[in-house]
Formats: sequence, C-alpha cells, structure tokens
Amino acid sequence: MIGRVRDVPLSGDPASRYLPWTVGLLVFLATLAFAAGMFLSSAGDAWRQNLSGTLTVQIPVSDGSDRRERVEAAAELLRTTPGIVSVRPIPDSEIAVLLEPWLGKQVLGLDLPVPDLIDVSVVRGADIDIAALSARLARVAPGAVVDDHAIWLRRLTEFTRIAETVSFAVMIVILISAVATVIFTTRTGLAIHSDVVEVLHLIGAQDSYVARQFQQHTLRLASAGAAVGFLLGAGVVWLTHVYGGRLSGGLLPELALGPLQWAMLVALPVAAVLLVVLTVGITVKRVLGKMM
Amino acid sequence: MANGVGDIVRFENVGMRYRLGAEVLHDISFSLPAGSFHFLTGPSGAGKSSLMRLMYLAHRPSRGSISMFGRDVSTIPRSELAALRRRIGVVFQDFRLIDHLSALDNVALPLRVAGAKEGQIRNHVAELLKWVGLEGQIDDKPTTLSGGEQQRVAIARAVIARPQILLADEPTGNVDDDIAIRLMYLLEELNKIGTTVVVATHNESLIERFKHPCFHVEDGLLSGPGIATRDDWKPAGLQ
Repeated sequence: MIGRVRDVPLSGDPASRYLPWTVGLLVFLATLAFAAGMFLSSAGDAWRQNLSGTLTVQIPVSDGSDRRERVEAAAELLRTTPGIVSVRPIPDSEIAVLLEPWLGKQVLGLDLPVPDLIDVSVVRGADIDIAALSARLARVAPGAVVDDHAIWLRRLTEFTRIAETVSFAVMIVILISAVATVIFTTRTGLAIHSDVVEVLHLIGAQDSYVARQFQQHTLRLASAGAAVGFLLGAGVVWLTHVYGGRLSGGLLPELALGPLQWAMLVALPVAAVLLVVLTVGITVKRVLGKMM
Repeated sequence: MANGVGDIVRFENVGMRYRLGAEVLHDISFSLPAGSFHFLTGPSGAGKSSLMRLMYLAHRPSRGSISMFGRDVSTIPRSELAALRRRIGVVFQDFRLIDHLSALDNVALPLRVAGAKEGQIRNHVAELLKWVGLEGQIDDKPTTLSGGEQQRVAIARAVIARPQILLADEPTGNVDDDIAIRLMYLLEELNKIGTTVVVATHNESLIERFKHPCFHVEDGLLSGPGIATRDDWKPAGLQ
C-alpha cells in the first residue's frame, strides 16, 4: 500500500480533514485529566505517608504553671509509652514558620496564646490507645490533646479518591468522545465512497482489505493529531510541576510524576491512536457486514 | 431441467425483491454449463441487471436457491464469499472504474485484493492492457479516456484474475457498433479459453450476428434454452 495511491480516495474528505485537530484536542484534554488523576494519587499517597505513623500532641497555654515543665513532663511520659519511637517538642521558631503564611513574620512578637506542639513518631502498625494516652497526658499537662490525624486522613483519602475517580472518568469520557467522532468520520467516509467500496467488495475484496484502507488513513491523521495534543498536554503538565511547587508554598506535596507515571502518560496517546484505529476497523467491518 | 454436474451457475425457483418492494424476478430457474456463452436480453427494466446482480453475488435472493461453482450460496459463510467473487469477472453497465486511479491501477485491483505481489502486478496488467489495445494509456485516469477505452479497461479489470465466469451487463451500451463488435470478438476469445460468458444486452443486431443461446427476461420472468415457459407450468394440484 505504501508508495501507491489508495484505492479509496479518503485524503480529500471534508470529514477526515478535521480528524487530526479533533484527536489532538481530545488527547490534549485526556493527557491533562490523566495527569491530574495521577497528581492527586501521588499527593494523596504523600499526605498519607507523612501523616500515618505520627501523632501530634497539643498543650494549650494555661496560667499558673511553668509552660516548659509541662512540655517536658508530657514528653517524658510519651517517651516511656510502648510503641513510640521518637518524641520531639517543636521549638517556637518552627511553630512561627508554620504560622508565618497566616500571621506574618513577626508572629513571635505578637504574644499570642499559641499552644505547644510535640511531634511523636510511632512504630508503624502499633496499636496505641489514644484515649488512654490522652488521659495520662492530662494528668501531667492539663488540657493536652492527642491528634492522630485519623479524621483528616479519612477525609483526605475520600477526597483524593473522589478527585482521582472524577479525573479518570473525565479521561474515559474524552476517549469515548474520540471514539464517537471517529465512528462518525468513518461512516461519513464510507457513505461518500460507497461506490468505490462496493466495487472493491464485488471484485472480491475481504472486509479487512477495505477496513485497512480506512485504518491506514486514520492512523496517519490520528498519529499526527495525538502527537501534537500529547506534546502540548505534557508541556502543561511539566509547567505545572515546575511552577506549581512555587505557588503552593509548601502547603501541597510536590506536583511531580514518577518515571512510571510519565511512561503511563506517554502510553496514553499511543493507546488513544490504537483505540481510534481499532474503532475504524470495527466500524468499517460492521457497515460492510450488512452487504451480502 | 437436468441437474448438470458441470454447471457453473444454477438457479432454482429464485425470486428477488429490493428491500420490502415488489418482487422484480419471479421463479427463475436455469443453469449455465461451464464454458458456455449466453446472451441475456429483454426490455429495459425487465430485470436483466437484477439477474446479473444475483449472479455476481451483489444481492441475496428473497426465495429459491442459487448455486455458484457447485456451492449453494445461501450456505456459504460470508467470509468465504469474497473468494467466490474472485472467480467471477464483472463488466458493469456503467463500467464503475475508480476515477482517481490510473488505468493500470484500476485493472490491477482484482489482483491486489487477492493479495498478489506488487512486483508481478505491473507486467501482468501492462500485458493485458496491450492485449485490449491500451498500451499507450496505462497511466491515464478514466476521466481522460473515451467511452470505448473505459470499456476496455473495465473488461481488462474483469478478466485480469482469470475468472471462471464473466458477466457483462450492457457492455456495448455506450459505444458505437464497430467497437461493440470488436468487444464481442474479445469476449469470444475469452470464451474459447474456457471462460463462461454471459452478456446482458438489448442490442438485437449483436445477438443475431453472434450465434449464441439467448435467455430472455420480461416482467421478471426468464425464458430461453431449457427453460419451461409459464404456459408449460401448472401448479401441482392442477396437473
């Protein structure tokens, strides 16, 4: 077939003229949706990894007792608790850094009733009775609160799962749109060239011979469109990675894709083109199947 | 009609309709022995082209049975029909050449769809185009060829894959008498080398000049050699 004119003159069809643009746009959007899904998946994993296996103890400011003594007493109690690996009272300077985005650089000079924080690492999988620990802590540091991040983790997990599902659903809808567009284009092509197709059919062409003509034509157009759409989409993903970190100011995990995720992203346009070509083949064969 | 073992085409009580329309062919029964040459004649709209469509497997009968090359068409899997069609050469009434392809590529189509190697195609096609007197028009597009030249390209395409039967639907309809006669000699040449030929035409002078058996279609009914006429036929209960 290469190097000679195709039997079915598809290259001048008005319907197929827009195919590269349509496939390019859909691959661009699918790339973004797929990348967004993978970003959210990575971010959720990073958040879960950071928060699971840690506890935070808050000791509120109260009158009448030495603040430092209460923190030391609580830390000592935590160190002797089975299942706890490390205990680190967070210095005021670090707390100031955490509050800086909201209260500004002079937060320490404001004399605010900021609670003391103790960062606790626990053995992964250790079954620590948070209620009992809270009761014991309350005796040495009244008002102390143990936060195991369970509520936050559960909500985060739910949110990232929903967002991931939505992203992948959007990608699937986009790919379905591509399939629908290609079915329409192929049916239009078959209608325009019905006389040529019928001649081929009547001189003994198998359905696969005719389908191949449409598939080769579509492969060329869809590949060009998918390549451009993917490059633009990947460019946006890369820019998000580069500039997203700066904009999030440390509040969000790094918006980066790993090598496996990039490989999956590269596989997306390839899969889209294969899907389109497969759709063309099936469409042509289904239409020809109605002929004797 | 006797059940000829060497029959290449056999119709038994065939009826045909387009979609849900009225029947255009009724109770067609005939057979064509291998190597025969027949004319098919009748007035316009009588059903000649419909009968040809049934023979070149473009349409299914609405009733009755058709056997081609000894096989009942209705029982052949669709995937095998393509191979069966390659044993049938067709010259369409309006030639149906593909305009954007050269004469060579048009004639080469049956070889290409059969999976012939490109290296063998060009020489073979060029030789055949020379045989039909078109050696100078190999690379010309059909739109630049005269009616007679287009017709010869159509014939070359029909015979390039050496079909066992050649069906020509009004092949002389668009050409003058001289070319029509030359065309008939060409078809006779093919018949002499074993190709079964059926020519649908309403050109009476050709039918008289070339003495071949003639089937006649009128009002969807077929008459001719070996075929009982409607007057001979009575329902079983009335005999």
